Amino acid sequence: MDYFLYYGCSLEGGGVHYMISTEAVAKALGINFHEIEDWNCCGASIAYIGGNEMQSIVLNARNLALAEAQGGYDIVAPCSSCYIMLNKVNRELQAHPKLMAQVNEILAEGGLKYSGQIRVRHILDLLYHDVGVEKIKAAVKKPLTGVKVAAYYGCQTTRPFGEYDSCENPHTQDDILAALGAEVVEFGHRVKCCGSGIFLTEIDKCAYLVKDIIESAAAGGAQIISTACPMCQMNLEIYQQRVNAITGANLNMPVVFVTQLMALAFGGDKDGAAALNRLVVPSGPALQAVGA
Amino acid sequence: MDYNQTFAKEVYEKVDSGDEIKVCMQCGVCGATCPLRGEMKYGPRQIWSLIRAGRRDEVLNNPDIMLCTSCYTCQVRCPRGVPIMEVMHGLAHYALAQGIVPRAETAKFGKAFWEGIYDTGRVDEAVVPIKYCLQDGLVAGLKKSLGMMDIGLALMKAKRMKPKMFIPPNIFIPGVHKIKGVKQLQRMLDKAAAIDAAKEA
Ligand code: SF4
Ligand code: SF4
Repeated sequence: MDYFLYYGCSLEGGGVHYMISTEAVAKALGINFHEIEDWNCCGASIAYIGGNEMQSIVLNARNLALAEAQGGYDIVAPCSSCYIMLNKVNRELQAHPKLMAQVNEILAEGGLKYSGQIRVRHILDLLYHDVGVEKIKAAVKKPLTGVKVAAYYGCQTTRPFGEYDSCENPHTQDDILAALGAEVVEFGHRVKCCGSGIFLTEIDKCAYLVKDIIESAAAGGAQIISTACPMCQMNLEIYQQRVNAITGANLNMPVVFVTQLMALAFGGDKDGAAALNRLVVPSGPALQAVGA
Repeated sequence: MDYNQTFAKEVYEKVDSGDEIKVCMQCGVCGATCPLRGEMKYGPRQIWSLIRAGRRDEVLNNPDIMLCTSCYTCQVRCPRGVPIMEVMHGLAHYALAQGIVPRAETAKFGKAFWEGIYDTGRVDEAVVPIKYCLQDGLVAGLKKSLGMMDIGLALMKAKRMKPKMFIPPNIFIPGVHKIKGVKQLQRMLDKAAAIDAAKEA
């Protein structure tokens, strides 16, 4: 199984534990990831402040054109924001030949051309639909028995297209976690927004979003939250002290990537393949049942 | 309410996705589902109303147009298929292009983010926060970055950040990674900017 892994900017920094665990999971499942040579930033959900609509389109069209020229594999994005930006532009270009022609005139500045052949996928889509729950189950060496986890989706993981999972009631991450042997809890805030790209600059307002999500997961019985987006993981995890100070809450909830839990269940080292040592809020008692 | 179509026409023609609000039926689903509606004076529906009423200053100066988290909740639920989030972003971009700053901090961060993309092709987490902080000048920038020190230290301890990230005097960071095709990318972005500038003029 060959794919492009679109790293995006956060996988090299704040989301490095996503990259480490994703690569370990890919190895265990026989997924072959290629890098798009000389990829550029997707612009994320905040590009509109400095750039206009056409510039946003061009940023993503360049990556699509590079992928097409370098082998044409599906692009898999582990970051929900990268996934949406690439996917949105791809769909627009595929649907509007006039726009495609206009964009190709611009891409020609770099000797590039895009014809619309690439598919953009979220990593949950790849894991659930291409790999499949059965194969994931078969790769489990250390089941996550007794781990009480909340599967948090947030916003752009499934919205707005709902291509591979439901916008309102998604299940792919729940099913993957259940395949690992974990106990997946029910909670109300699984598709509520965490504040995304404006969290830090509007923290007085967004702190309440994070508070409500984590308290909802805790009320459902979760000891740990699983995410599939570096922005979610960051916003829910590293600012908890600050959120407590602003809202008067008392949050202390570990937040990991779904791939970290997969790497652990596949028998990977807790601080190696599962990169649990990269957490700001330690996993603590949440993973004690499985010795991590 | 007094109806004056001049501003509505301006929005339809010049704001990215602005013409999409024409089909809005004022049901209010957008505001009702928005996670930050409680923090806004007007939700999307009311902003569209103000546009139709010609209240240009009130709309473009309204901090609500920049409080959209891009969560798409409203957009997937809108019964008329209005790409609400795109309109909110379009309005914010348009206001900023007119020199209006609906929300200062988010505007500064977004500017630093965009400059990072333009200058290097990627967003270096070691550079953007520095640029963001320094827009207030060196002293204020130092203070702001010290305020973020706890987060920075926690990330460094977890080996999730390069140590230089929150050290503001380190403006000239050597070896910032640029993509190979950065010059071509800049030419593409300039060309794209010219197309939209013609529309906004
Ligand atoms: S949900 Fe759609 S139709 Fe309803 S008020 Fe909002 S934009 Fe208009
Ligand atoms: S996309 Fe923006 S306006 Fe719509 S619900 Fe989310 S935050 Fe509110």
